[in-house]
Amino acid sequence: MNPGTDILPPSPGRSWRTIRQEVQPLAMSRQGRRRQMAGWVKAGAVSAFVAGLGWGLYALVHSWATDRAGLATAVHSAPVGRVALITDGVLTQKWAEEMLALPKTASLMALDLPALRDKLLAHGQVRVAVLTRSFPATLVVTLQERTPVARVQADTGVGAAQPLLVAKDGVVYAGLNYDPSMLAGLPWLDGIRLVRAGRGFEPITGMADVSELLSTAQLQAPHLYREWLIVSLARLAETDELLVKTQDIPEIVFTRKRAFFKQVAQLDYIIDRAHALPEPALKSVNLTLEGQVPVVLETAATATVPPKAPPSNFLLQPSQRKAKRDL
Amino acid sequence: MISNNSRIVGAVEIGTGKIAVLVGEIARGRSLNIIGVGVAPARGIMKGEVVDYKAACEATHHALEMAEKRAGVRIEEVWLAQTGGQLDAFYNEASVNVKSADNTVTALDIEAVCQMAKEKELPAGRTGIHQIRRPFQLDGRIVPAPEHLSGRRLEVGYWIVHGPESKVADNIHVVGGYHLEVRELVLASLASGSLLTTPEERSQGVLVIDLGKGVTDFVLYRDGHVLVTGTLPVAGDHLTNDLSIGLRVTAAQAELLKLRHARGTVQTRDKTDKVWLNGDGAFGDRQLSKLAIETIAAARTLELLEVVKLKLGPAFAAEHCGAGIILTGGTSRMPGIEEAATRVFGLPARRGEAPSWVKEELKDPMFSTVLGVFQFGLRGAYEHAVPARRKTGLLSYLTRIFATT
Repeated sequence: MNPGTDILPPSPGRSWRTIRQEVQPLAMSRQGRRRQMAGWVKAGAVSAFVAGLGWGLYALVHSWATDRAGLATAVHSAPVGRVALITDGVLTQKWAEEMLALPKTASLMALDLPALRDKLLAHGQVRVAVLTRSFPATLVVTLQERTPVARVQADTGVGAAQPLLVAKDGVVYAGLNYDPSMLAGLPWLDGIRLVRAGRGFEPITGMADVSELLSTAQLQAPHLYREWLIVSLARLAETDELLVKTQDIPEIVFTRKRAFFKQVAQLDYIIDRAHALPEPALKSVNLTLEGQVPVVLETAATATVPPKAPPSNFLLQPSQRKAKRDL
Repeated sequence: MISNNSRIVGAVEIGTGKIAVLVGEIARGRSLNIIGVGVAPARGIMKGEVVDYKAACEATHHALEMAEKRAGVRIEEVWLAQTGGQLDAFYNEASVNVKSADNTVTALDIEAVCQMAKEKELPAGRTGIHQIRRPFQLDGRIVPAPEHLSGRRLEVGYWIVHGPESKVADNIHVVGGYHLEVRELVLASLASGSLLTTPEERSQGVLVIDLGKGVTDFVLYRDGHVLVTGTLPVAGDHLTNDLSIGLRVTAAQAELLKLRHARGTVQTRDKTDKVWLNGDGAFGDRQLSKLAIETIAAARTLELLEVVKLKLGPAFAAEHCGAGIILTGGTSRMPGIEEAATRVFGLPARRGEAPSWVKEELKDPMFSTVLGVFQFGLRGAYEHAVPARRKTGLLSYLTRIFATT
């Protein structure tokens, strides 16, 4: 405590400061009412000023978000000199420039980046597009592209049916700049109904399962995958089954209820065993059952291998089977 | 031009005879520039108390408006001088044993003893105005700052000034009727004393008596501290009243006689020495004995000063009042009043003089209280933590605007 503090206002409990100072308007003099009115006018003016200031800020922010080109006139920046493309796929800078179609005189600040990004995303091959200004005059376009997992024939309304590509997320698109030999190796999709959405199609449902099956086959048994021609999703929604048609086997039934890795291994084994038969032509292989694999041979009407008791090594684990086969 | 860091404060004294308003621009809470003055004859005030709210408002607001017009700015807040016959005070003291093992006084001891001394309840219906601390005593010796000193027993006393809540509220509401907030309430005697005395005089001991029209305020300083304050509902009006009765004249004529011929002590020896009642030679004018006027005025003045002395009681001791008596207020302009005070108190008396920083036109005793309000408030702003400085900044500005609408 400061000893110099020798005169204090009284404690708040019983102090004149607790006396209410507001006076009823009727108890005010003419001058007092005039002052009060002036106070209100002042408060109103300040409120209006603050509100105007707030509105101005809002308008500025709104304008920045929606009409950047208008604002850009106030910002000095150079015209776009170069578009730099960074991508993890096969699209080229030329394609990016054609898609963006920037006016030659457009300054970097005047670009409406969200609109340009939408332009790029309109092409199904582009999964993610990020556009950044690199001052003074470079527009950097960073892309992440979709990878095709299958092909589909679709009627695009411009004549005959066209082959389109389908990505893992089900997006259907016309691929650009892919290696034709890679595309030729992709299986076709069947048993689907393409629904139009704008200029393209709705994503195909169930493609995640298809993609998983195909990638498993491609990695674990590439010699089998190379033979696959068509993957049908016709029974996927109802019975969780995927039908695969290969060059040699008209129907292989997979189920998404079980691990594809195991099913592919079983198929590999069955095909190996079938080759050992005198007439190796398989008509149908059903991998949907856990313990048994019904197989229809081309020669027999309804033959089943194994008929009742499968060979003891029929369902060996792939690692065991592989070891045996290598021997 | 008013700077952004300044505030416009109105010092207001609602007296029995006149309403005085000074407008001051206070920059950085310290430097004062008086930019406007407003004075209006008081109405609706009796002995410093509002008895006719409407009339008091009209007079006060007229003075406020005049001061604002002359200053060219709007007053933002008011520091109000408080007086009135119903103000009272009492002394309350407390003591504590020093708590630390080595008997060193700590801040906690000081806070505890001060808190105890201030805690006494006010009578019902009363509101506190000031709590004035007297010097600390450590084992019986007076110490201005006891912290870190050694001792066993710490004592302190507070002079607590209070007034009737309704009367204080009336004064505040008169200002509120002009749509202004009273931010500080300063006892009129403290305001006058603060202006007219120097720190040296307060250390030596000095008694300041503010003789107004309806009320006499006084403050006694000793050892640099306020020892006693007081207010009496007796002042210049009583001289006028006695003259009116004694000479059988109207109150207005008595007031004129007082201003022209009254004295604090009798000087006239010639009983035949006469003065004209009106002095205009008109019909009804008559001659009155000058000795009679002086005798009545001197008797009343001596009586008034005796009452002050009586009210001071044992607190007043001539040997502790080395700087003498200082007289101020409108009635102090009466000739011979210093001799009367000297005769009553046995000490040299003089009229208070405003400090050199006060402009010539404001050196009249009628401004000593409002000037003192500024002086007291400004000194308090950094020495006594009174009044609190207002916050600056845009947000505070906006808050103030809406708070005052």
